[in-house]
Amino acid sequence: MDIKETIFKSIFFSASVFSAGITLFISGFMIVLALPILKQGLFFDMLTSPWAPDHGLFGLGPMIVGTICIAFMALVISFPISLGCSFFIGILNPKGLGKWLKKMVESMTAIPTVIYGFVGIFLLVPLVRELFLKGSGMCILSAAIMLSVLISPTMILFFVDSFARVPQSDLNAVDALGGNTVQKFFYVVLPHSWKGMLTGIILSFGRAMGDTLIALMISGNSVAFPGSVLDSARTLTAHIALIIAADFDSIEFKTIFLGGIFLYIMTSASIILTKFLFRKKNNK
Amino acid sequence: MKPEFSDRLFNYFSWGCSMLLIGAVLTIISFLIANGYNVLSLHLIFDDTRPLDAIFLKTQVFDGLFPAIAGTVFLILLSILFAVPIGLATGIFLAEYCPPKIKRHFSLLFDILAGIPSIVVGLFGFCVTLFLHHYFYSRLFPCLLISAFSLAFLILPYIIWTTQISLETLPLSVRLTAPGLGATKLQNIFYVLLPSSLSGILSGIILSIGRCAEDTAVIMLTGAVASAGIPRSVFSSFEALPFYIYYISSQYSDNSELMKGYGACLILLFICITLFVLAHWIKKRLYQKILYQP
Amino acid sequence: MTFRNLMVTILFMIMLFFLVAGNCFSDELDRFKGEKQILRISGGTAHIPVMKEAAKRIMTFNPDIRITIAGGGSGAGIKQVGEGLVDIGNSGRKATEAEINKYGLKMIKWAIDGVAAVVNPKNRIKTLTRQELQDIFSGKITNWKELGGNDKPINVYTRDKASGTRSVFWKKALKKSDITNKANVVVSNGAMKTAVKNDPYSIGYISVGFINDSVFAIVLDGVKPTLDSVKQGHYKVARGLYSNTKGDAKGLAKKFIDYLLGPDGRKMVLEKGFIPVN
Repeated sequence: MDIKETIFKSIFFSASVFSAGITLFISGFMIVLALPILKQGLFFDMLTSPWAPDHGLFGLGPMIVGTICIAFMALVISFPISLGCSFFIGILNPKGLGKWLKKMVESMTAIPTVIYGFVGIFLLVPLVRELFLKGSGMCILSAAIMLSVLISPTMILFFVDSFARVPQSDLNAVDALGGNTVQKFFYVVLPHSWKGMLTGIILSFGRAMGDTLIALMISGNSVAFPGSVLDSARTLTAHIALIIAADFDSIEFKTIFLGGIFLYIMTSASIILTKFLFRKKNNK
Repeated sequence: MKPEFSDRLFNYFSWGCSMLLIGAVLTIISFLIANGYNVLSLHLIFDDTRPLDAIFLKTQVFDGLFPAIAGTVFLILLSILFAVPIGLATGIFLAEYCPPKIKRHFSLLFDILAGIPSIVVGLFGFCVTLFLHHYFYSRLFPCLLISAFSLAFLILPYIIWTTQISLETLPLSVRLTAPGLGATKLQNIFYVLLPSSLSGILSGIILSIGRCAEDTAVIMLTGAVASAGIPRSVFSSFEALPFYIYYISSQYSDNSELMKGYGACLILLFICITLFVLAHWIKKRLYQKILYQP
Repeated sequence: MTFRNLMVTILFMIMLFFLVAGNCFSDELDRFKGEKQILRISGGTAHIPVMKEAAKRIMTFNPDIRITIAGGGSGAGIKQVGEGLVDIGNSGRKATEAEINKYGLKMIKWAIDGVAAVVNPKNRIKTLTRQELQDIFSGKITNWKELGGNDKPINVYTRDKASGTRSVFWKKALKKSDITNKANVVVSNGAMKTAVKNDPYSIGYISVGFINDSVFAIVLDGVKPTLDSVKQGHYKVARGLYSNTKGDAKGLAKKFIDYLLGPDGRKMVLEKGFIPVN
């Protein structure tokens, strides 16, 4: 029986090593493939210069700006709405309706991104185009709006979770002292849960940066540095999708590994950051 | 007691945001239904071929959604086949055997894996294919197998998490009974702990199925094409529902194709929501059943 | 446990799925009798309607054959067939000397096609001079009213670098002048048509074979791009549709290309809006 135990234990262990290894393997693979460019010391150059293959420029600058703009804008749109919804669910909870809103938000996580993209193309893009009368409607704004609907459930659920961790005794204390809801929020709930909320925001930002379909379908994919929110832009993720579909084994292709590395680093950094926040919170 | 102004503001804000969100979701769904419900029929899926002929692969379906639906189904099955054993084993290891110090590092790595954008995973899959194609099997192309592998990497973290958490949150009474009767650790795991946490694990698997069904970025780079019929082997290209939707949205040649796109959206939405509801239901029901079983 | 039974049943049904059978009939298609392979095609998006139709007929005749068709643009087609990832790589432009030498490509032209600038049918502008076209695409002219149309911004749509349609349009219509980098990028002829169809203030360019009522082909320097004007050489922005193979075409690929060049194939090419090659 001992041998059986050891065998199974090593099976489980190797599975874990395999899984963990995949994470490192993915990054390693990309670094290796981007090596020719990295060797030339062009890393930061590549991240800031424009993309103009006809002129020999293979920089990812416009794409990185596009990614950050769209993701940030989605965050800006989504944050107040998520905050309001989480208030509704977690703090206000009028007549028990909060439970239903929470169920709906949880179901929203099941909606595929491609459907957001599809509806965006046929509903949102013409709307934006006619409303603003500038640009084709395929722009940062449209992509950001759809993206914000995508990341709202994540943010809301994180916020609600953080609010729920506030000790009931503290909440009762506010009521006993005659405080109203706003005071309750700012003086009790927020101090307890700001770390959890921040985690939610960071992770949603990571999700927004990593999304491919919505940007690919709605943001227009132009290669210029975007000048306004009504400009067409291209994200790093859409760029990777477009280049792979069309090309490989050329310099353009090698630069997308740089893009991949950049995305990997950004998302990993955001996760490590949230872990750091969490750890401090637990020590409190 | 009259509610103060700030409280009222708070209320309006919360209600307003909730209404906005609900409105957005309802708009999206009703837009799809309004445009697509006309199209939902067997003709959408099977086009001019008789359904039974198509299912038994006697005749090919050319303009229907059947190949895409079949492709998605095969993709899901293969990915689950890869991801579940590994994920389960890893979750068991993390919950039962792993020393806390190493556990933190493993957890971090899995969280990072979960956070990797799907297109990066797809990029990885594509490069592995190219690499293998050049150096080992020159007959290897982006195909069902590669897509399933890549997709498995995507869902691995979720299966690991749910297994780990389901096992860790088992009450002490359940954990200690079997060893108290002389069972080994392994016997405890297989005969007591796993069955007890089955509901959680199962719901995690079902949620992963939903993830497989909806992902487009990974399969776009590793083998999904616009026109391929039913995949004959795991080494062939395939069609998939989300890829079909993406493809149609940018390149429909006439209105009937666009309508098919709406129909496909509805079908995909239906599949994903059903899986989600199923996962929750299983988690709730099985959990009660296991806990209260005499 | 019922769960296990469920799993076994599902596994069994999967295995059932992988059973095949079937047959059909024709004569041009006879050359495909007995073949059992997979044929992989990718590349130019203008070729796709013809490819799909041919594939449909062949696969209906002999269900043992499997033909998969992907897009990607002419550049992708040439690269992929050169690297051995596909059997036939379509391109809407001639492969360059460098490409032919690097991969040992053999090109076969089976149709002639034009590339036309297109606008939305609601647009009042119907003709343009070459200079105006260049200025629009380079971003010098940004509003339709500068050309006599409505006061609306011009939304330029273009293709990616792998596109043969793009390189032909750039060389022959724009005479190699710049395309603004603010233009929206779409990935195929089909996608371009969709974009122009849906945006009333757009301008783009597509293969003449793709033109129908949903877009309007701009009359360039007095010549309207139609099947006839391309055939007779009046409309100069034209290109051949090629299928490339690595080395001489053999086996199923050769039969497919022969089919395209045969009478059935030529009829199909005409139906889809292109000019079959003699």
